[in-house]
Amino acid sequence: MAIKFEQVNFSYPSFDGTNFSALKDINLEINEFGEFITLIGETGSGKSTLVQHMNALVRPTTGSVTIYGIKIENDTKKKGKVKLNPLRQRVGLVFQFPEYQLFEETVLKDIIFGPKNFGVSNEDAIKRAKEVIKHVGLDEEYLKRSPFNLSGGEKKRVSIAGILAMEPDILVLDEPTSGLDPKGRDDLLKLFTDIHRKLNKTVIIITHDMNTVYKYASRVLVMNDGSLVYDGKPTELFSTNNIENWNLDIPDIISITRQLEERLNIKFNSQPKTIEDLFILVKEVI
Amino acid sequence: MKNIIIGQFIPGTSFLYKMDPRSKIIALMLLMVSTFILSSVSHILIMLGVVLVILKIGGIPVTRIARGLKPIMILLLFTFTFQIIFIKTGNLVFDTDLTLTYITLPIILLIVIFWYFTKRYTRFKFLYLLITVFGILTLLSLYNPGSIISSSHLEIYQDGLEGAFFIMIRLIIIVTLSTILTLTTKPTDLNLGLEKILKPLGIIRINAEEIAMIISIALRYIPTLLDEANKIMLAQASRGVDFSEGKFKDKIMQIISLLVPMFIISFKRSDDLANAMEARSFVPGKRRTRLHTLSWHNIDTSVIVFCVLVLASVITVRIML
Amino acid sequence: MNIIEIKDLSFSYQDEIQALSNVNLSVKKGEWISILGHNGSGKSTLSKLIIGLLKADSGKILVDGVILNEESVHDIRRKIGIVFQNPDNQFVGVTVEDDIAFGMENLCFQQSEIIEKIKEYSKKVDMSDYLKKEPHALSGGQKQRVAIAGILAMKTDIIIFDEATSMLDPKGRASIMEYIKEIKKAGVTVITITHDMKEAVLSDRIVILKEGRVIACGETNDILNDKETLNSSNLELLLPLKLQYLLDEANISNDKVKDILWQLSLNK
Ligand SMILES: Nc1ncnc2c1ncn2[C@@H]1O[C@H](COP(=O)(O)OP(=O)(O)OP(=O)(O)O)[C@@H](O)[C@H]1O
Ligand SMILES: Nc1ncnc2c1ncn2[C@@H]1O[C@H](COP(=O)(O)OP(=O)(O)OP(=O)(O)O)[C@@H](O)[C@H]1O
Ligand SMILES: [Mg+2]
Ligand SMILES: [Mg+2]
Repeated sequence: MAIKFEQVNFSYPSFDGTNFSALKDINLEINEFGEFITLIGETGSGKSTLVQHMNALVRPTTGSVTIYGIKIENDTKKKGKVKLNPLRQRVGLVFQFPEYQLFEETVLKDIIFGPKNFGVSNEDAIKRAKEVIKHVGLDEEYLKRSPFNLSGGEKKRVSIAGILAMEPDILVLDEPTSGLDPKGRDDLLKLFTDIHRKLNKTVIIITHDMNTVYKYASRVLVMNDGSLVYDGKPTELFSTNNIENWNLDIPDIISITRQLEERLNIKFNSQPKTIEDLFILVKEVI
Repeated sequence: MKNIIIGQFIPGTSFLYKMDPRSKIIALMLLMVSTFILSSVSHILIMLGVVLVILKIGGIPVTRIARGLKPIMILLLFTFTFQIIFIKTGNLVFDTDLTLTYITLPIILLIVIFWYFTKRYTRFKFLYLLITVFGILTLLSLYNPGSIISSSHLEIYQDGLEGAFFIMIRLIIIVTLSTILTLTTKPTDLNLGLEKILKPLGIIRINAEEIAMIISIALRYIPTLLDEANKIMLAQASRGVDFSEGKFKDKIMQIISLLVPMFIISFKRSDDLANAMEARSFVPGKRRTRLHTLSWHNIDTSVIVFCVLVLASVITVRIML
Repeated sequence: MNIIEIKDLSFSYQDEIQALSNVNLSVKKGEWISILGHNGSGKSTLSKLIIGLLKADSGKILVDGVILNEESVHDIRRKIGIVFQNPDNQFVGVTVEDDIAFGMENLCFQQSEIIEKIKEYSKKVDMSDYLKKEPHALSGGQKQRVAIAGILAMKTDIIIFDEATSMLDPKGRASIMEYIKEIKKAGVTVITITHDMKEAVLSDRIVILKEGRVIACGETNDILNDKETLNSSNLELLLPLKLQYLLDEANISNDKVKDILWQLSLNK
């Protein structure tokens, strides 16, 4: 067990005393190996807040989060002595807004910031930087640029590169594909899948794109109004009728299949997962 | 991080909340001027009394104010010490030799070490520090066996003591007054009030609206900048900087590595913000309507009258005595 | 009549990064066009040039028949509202309500009208419960909603959305699209910058940028089918069309299926 949430509640303190409860009684277990998890839910449901607990950037108001055996509670820091650094190397978190994550003068410096802090030598860090910048679909030219003078999508890519360079055991990404062009999105999702498959690591992705959920995830978590309302397989999620209540949607492939069935007045014998599967089914009926 | 935001607005219902921001700002200025005119300890104590009564009627917890005073504690302490040590007029009230010996030195070191390791367990850190310092001073003055390392003379004069006390109270009053203003006035209202009060400056070609806009943006951005610092800290923390651990030197380095991006990001931010404002048709100095408008009530008139009376009597006292 | 006319526009950042080269584009009054293109293709740069936040190296822009220059820029901005890509950097007000009011205040709306509009538009973007909240206490999607409300409330003739829905949940996104359809009917000219083909098909015309150049511009129906162009500019084919291509390749033709797939790709 890599990360375990037990009865976690979290409130944002507010100056007027009326604290805003953003997480309510969360219980959750995340394995170290081989999970590809997507976290979805309506705007403001607490997704970003939840993932910030995963590398101890925030501490639960009540309850506890155990990360690689280290228990984080509300008063953990005050008691001192808990080293959080090792956790942060093992659980890498990419923020929702890349602007919050970029702070160095050049893209290169920004990418090597993490590795160097975790004791990687300068040359090795630079070598890693040159590698990851390609992985996120930018060429080496970009290493010299200032991260503040990039387009929205480019910033996003650089912020992802900065975390990839740390080579964490668990990769947590807060809306990594928003603002990316379709090819960039597919390439990155492929990259995360490779990390998940080949290196057998766990990847957690927040997204609003149901196609990503359906195509890539082995497990899906749904947040609604601060509570974790679903934890299971994507296929099952999309066959329940809670989708509407949670402000979600069904993946394109499912809606197209349903539309075809309805308009052609037929019934396919299985729910295709990709367009190629659907093609085979359609080929059979016509 | 959030507790640095001194004097953030807290909602309430007392008369302070019913007042127009303009009258609050004017009243604040009147009282501040009065405080500066006063010149004796007994008078300034009366003034402090008045301020405490305002707090009481206004329903503002003193603890809130105390929290606001925290950041200027160091300043207070500094002026206090300075006054006591350097003013040598009036009656001598206290006089002692401070002697450091080979026996007291290790004792003091022990006390400091003890203080250093126990300070985290108390909630009243500042008080604890004061007690420790006072303890060391007492030790130096009363206990001096063994051979002497160095020795000095501490004299406290009445004027020094009174001066120190006076300045401290004055500072406390000023800070309290301005904290009352920001605690009970929403930033938007404050901005609008300032704008209206600064309006007459237009005659000497200063654009009140622009100044007010600058102030309001500053107000809007103080929490954001703190938030920004917080975010960069989080970003750096998640990439391996540990802000809670490390030696003093590391801490300094960490702060520097925080300040540099803060500067860059602030510039970038102000650029983006200017763009966003211009894109929404903001033209400096041009007429605009307002969502919030102000209205003057009887309570405002009464408070202003009261403050004018305070100022008048203060001036009278000053001239008479 | 063309409400926006862009002629031979070029722009570079710090004289070294050529963000736009010789862009020509015209937008008709009341039209909805989508601008697509890979990351860094110059979409946001183009939108900043249109409202005069950046100054072109060469070429010219006409809005409603008026050439954009230093004198006309303020008048032109009163006609255009823009929702920027990053919702965080465009929050001007101290609270949500102040932020929505900001643009209206600059356009000198009456106070009573401002109050009414705040109510109306915060409700439209589902943020009425958050009016007194400060920007840093909002989630990503919530910030985006406020940004949209602030611009919609200004009721400008032209509205540019720069990836304004990228962080919204599916339902929020759909409701903004519905709303765009509505304002378009009322005669507003809309420009949406997006990476989402499903959003783009709703517009009348599509413009594709690649490395700072317009490589395609045409009726939505035509562009949708232009596989080569889409591919070369990091875009995607819609799923129903992909299926159609697979069928074509396998030489299977069925008019009924073809028709249905076409309808589906147009979101009908
Ligand atoms: N700093 C803060 N102070 C107070 N409330 C906050 C703060 N940050 C977030 N919130 C509130 O907590 C709730 C959850 O926020 P969170 O950012 O986790 O949402 P989210 O699920 O990531 O949403 P989105 O999809 O829009 O990014 C929101 O309703 C938001 O208003
Ligand atoms: N402030 C800046 N300084 C220098 N170069 C910049 C700046 N902003 C953008 N660029 C560069 O200009 C080009 C166009 O950027 P722009 O932001 O217009 O792209 P975009 O099409 O909006 O991309 P995205 O889909 O990622 O938002 C990019 O190559 C980018 O790196
Ligand atoms: Mg979020
Ligand atoms: Mg852009």
